[in-house]
Amino acid sequence: MRSHRKTPVDLSLIVVLVVVLALFFDFTNGFHDTANAMATPIATGAMRPKVAVALAAALNLVGAFLSTEVAKTISGGIIHEGPGGISITPEMIFAGLVGAIIWNLVTWLFGLPSSSSHALFGGLIGAAIVGAGFGSVDYAVLVDKVILPALLAPLIAGFVAYLSTKLAYVITRRYDGQPDGRAGFRYAQIFSSSLVALAHGTNDAQKTMGVITLVFISAGLQAQGSDPQFWVILACAIAIAAGTYTGGWRIIRTLGKGLTDVKPAQGFAAETSTAATILASSHLGFALSTTQVASGSVVGSGLGRRGSSVRWRTAGRIGMGWLLTLPASAIVGALSAWAAGLGPLGILIDAVIATVVIVAIFIISARNRVSSKTALEGVNEVAQSGRVVKIRKVKPKKSAGKRSAA
Amino acid sequence: MINWISFFVVAFAAIASACIVVILYSLGLRLMSTAGKAPNVIPAEFTDAITVITPTEAAAEAKRIRKAAKRNPLSPTRKRLALAAAYACFALCGACVLFGIYLIIPAFHR
Repeated sequence: MRSHRKTPVDLSLIVVLVVVLALFFDFTNGFHDTANAMATPIATGAMRPKVAVALAAALNLVGAFLSTEVAKTISGGIIHEGPGGISITPEMIFAGLVGAIIWNLVTWLFGLPSSSSHALFGGLIGAAIVGAGFGSVDYAVLVDKVILPALLAPLIAGFVAYLSTKLAYVITRRYDGQPDGRAGFRYAQIFSSSLVALAHGTNDAQKTMGVITLVFISAGLQAQGSDPQFWVILACAIAIAAGTYTGGWRIIRTLGKGLTDVKPAQGFAAETSTAATILASSHLGFALSTTQVASGSVVGSGLGRRGSSVRWRTAGRIGMGWLLTLPASAIVGALSAWAAGLGPLGILIDAVIATVVIVAIFIISARNRVSSKTALEGVNEVAQSGRVVKIRKVKPKKSAGKRSAA
Repeated sequence: MINWISFFVVAFAAIASACIVVILYSLGLRLMSTAGKAPNVIPAEFTDAITVITPTEAAAEAKRIRKAAKRNPLSPTRKRLALAAAYACFALCGACVLFGIYLIIPAFHR
């Protein structure tokens, strides 16, 4: 990367800024999406929280190295949407990343599992509209590739999870009152959730690699259509793994406890459905959001077990978050693109405001922390998360009884 | 418009693969319990664990499983057969998962 020196100072400065922001976005992405893989095994006690997030982090790290196909699609095409292709500038990518990061942190503060990819797309779209006009976004592609999959993903995953939960219970049900061994699903959960974490690594770390590569291409530091550089892959893998290890405990609580009371068989069915849906879709070239698939699966598995109830109020809040993700991050991205359009000073203002907002969110979050540390300190984490995400406590049904507690 | 054919392919592939894995593992557990070896996996204990089982409850469950195993009507050969079938199910299930991992790694498809 010595070729930096040949470019004008302000250009390489913005490139460095974008790389830093992109890696921070990757961190928030991992942080936000730990829950997708690890909420259910933590909820059922299949793994201790720290072990679960460490496993998820390791698998995200491995997953990031497995493929760079998605990264190549992003740097090679997706963002150059529209006829003729818009020329996207590093400033626009910077603005888009600001939008994506801020929205990711806001949804984390409320414990909402929202799609990090939608936040990224929203931010970039908002920045592109301000930077290059309304014509720069191909709305047909937007509906086709982002909005319709967003509606369909949770439905497919929910249906798959419903079906597999039913199957798991029907097959293991014993009418003679003998032990049914359903606790054995805990072992399976370790593997199924690992698969989800791996799938997440192969998908989501790629997006940041794609963005960084896109910046290098648009700044003329790298040839068009070339692969991400090795240090980019390494840095992205480390950022997403670090984010995953830090763990978005608020979202873990929402997915693991907020939607429905997850039992081992359900958790296994939900994770298998999540992994199957993500893998099937990415293998067959149909882009789905990991987060939406995971949430859909948890709701589906809640519907599939006898005597379990789904808290539709929480599900509705999550749905609202999904609806808002694209427009909200687009608005933040647009504002920040507008400021960035003022020149180097605008970018400085942007960076300062973004830092202030990020720090403010962390300060607000520190008031009622939800983390694995509070667990060690003996503070009641569940009660805290209940306060944060405002879950109404629902008493377990009496029919569930002692036996199904296993 | 959205490519509905690819959508249905994705939906079908997801349903088929998830169901195969879940059916195999559940069948394995069912056969374990038929063989009188129902697994008793106690949830990990950590402060504020969502699923909590007291040691007494865990011990009671273990006792129940031991009792059920004693009253198991199957002959020793059949028990062994059921257990072998259970392990075969788990192995097959693991193979399916490995195949899934194989599918997502593009390095294997070049």
